[in-house]
Amino acid sequence: MQEYINDAMVELIKVHKFYPPDVKALKDVSLTVNRGELLFLTGLSGAGKTSLLRLLCRIEHPNRGLVEIDGMDIGKLSAKKMQLLRRRIGIVYQEFKLLPAQTVFRNIALPMEICGRQKSFIRRQIHELLERLGLEEKIKTRTGDLSQGEQQRVAIARALCNKPDLILADEPTGNLDTDNSQRVMDLFNERREQGATILIATHDARIYGLGRHRVVVLADGHIIGAGIKRDPSQKNDEGRA
Amino acid sequence: MNFLLTVFSRTGRNFLLTWPSQLLNLLTISLSVLIFSFFFLAYTNMINAGKQLGDDLRLVAYLDEEPSPALQEEYRRKILKFDDVEKIVFVGRKQAYARFKKELGTDRDVLTDIPENFLPPSVEVYPRRSLNSLTRIKRFSDYLMTLPGVLKVQYGREWIERFYSFVRLMRIVVILSGALLILTSTFMVARTIRLTLLSRQRELELLRLCGASSAYIRMPYFLEGALQGLVGAGLGLAALSVLFNWIKLQFSGSSLFAFFPFTFFPLPVIAVILALSTLFCAGGSFSSTRKILQV
Repeated sequence: MQEYINDAMVELIKVHKFYPPDVKALKDVSLTVNRGELLFLTGLSGAGKTSLLRLLCRIEHPNRGLVEIDGMDIGKLSAKKMQLLRRRIGIVYQEFKLLPAQTVFRNIALPMEICGRQKSFIRRQIHELLERLGLEEKIKTRTGDLSQGEQQRVAIARALCNKPDLILADEPTGNLDTDNSQRVMDLFNERREQGATILIATHDARIYGLGRHRVVVLADGHIIGAGIKRDPSQKNDEGRA
Repeated sequence: MNFLLTVFSRTGRNFLLTWPSQLLNLLTISLSVLIFSFFFLAYTNMINAGKQLGDDLRLVAYLDEEPSPALQEEYRRKILKFDDVEKIVFVGRKQAYARFKKELGTDRDVLTDIPENFLPPSVEVYPRRSLNSLTRIKRFSDYLMTLPGVLKVQYGREWIERFYSFVRLMRIVVILSGALLILTSTFMVARTIRLTLLSRQRELELLRLCGASSAYIRMPYFLEGALQGLVGAGLGLAALSVLFNWIKLQFSGSSLFAFFPFTFFPLPVIAVILALSTLFCAGGSFSSTRKILQV
């Protein structure tokens, strides 16, 4: 595997997140994800995986603690700086957040248009990604007319199209079969090799069981375990839980 | 360039997605512009007609005796004290006789045995053809009667006074319909864009999460408001033009149209109406996006 550079892209320091009336989604969570690293966050439903990702997108703010991306405390970033940072982040939402009345092309083009990419770049990226994800025939279909699995792949294409520095994916293979899950993971690995930092929240053992990467286990808002998952195909690698 | 293209294409998509409400908006703006411009057109034509009537308009104060140059100066001073006028002409007895004789033309023989000084001297006052001056003509006449040596005051046709009162009323109607246009276009567009924004919270949230700038989010809605104003006003003016030509056709050959050449708005006025409507609608949209997006 390609080694990542040992400096933090994402850092959470003693983060707490509560929801009224008394739900404690995250308790004293500290986590560092290095630049170029692929990290899996796993745990049962309600463990706090989605909450953690939402804090990283600044959809929500922590009640206590510090959330840093690329050395910047995102809680203190101005609106303008946050806009610029968000352009460097690709997010796959659990609920996809697609625009159902618009076509697959338009949905994927959105982040690239925001960044002011050239039309030719947008078209090339979209065609390439849709081909890789087996959706090239759906390019003109409205996303509201797609199946759940297809919508999920469109959401993944949208997150990856802008070649972001940081990819946050919440259950990206939740609606995919094994073949499509593998396609998605191939894409994620490829982006990681190109230098992207990737954080995937999942309880799909099929995907975090493949390759060599760090897995962080969350339970009841706490990190209860972390270790490097051994790649079953490389028997000499030492795994530690 | 890319930004502008994106803004235009997003505006176009928005039009396509929300065309029923856009159509309703256009209809409302068109009607408002039609109402306003109808009254405005009537008003401007009346003002023009008034100018033609004003050519014959003068106040004639008949005097008991020929005024000396000093008295003429005194009259001039007192008249100008009441109102600014276009000109003051003193007509002596002989001059009045000569005029009368000329007006009689071939019938001038009737004056054979009549002395040349039988007509009284007079002061002719030509008021300014401004709306304010002309609507005060009755008061002007009353004032002239109070001057020393004035026997009688006559002025053109008295209905001119009523005509100008009507023009004044028209001015109020134009101002009110203009206010109606502003209120309708601003609030209708603001309301529609507000509803659009509320129904598209999901998209707006996504845009923010993808790092879209405030300008990127707001510009299409701003442009949408401006376009509604422009197209709405264009349709309203087009409808007025059709109406105007239809009326003109119906009354072609009538003496009224022969006397007063009613005309449509000149191009600069059309441009101003279009620009104002665009401005107000864009303003409505701007305020709406500012409130909803809080960016």
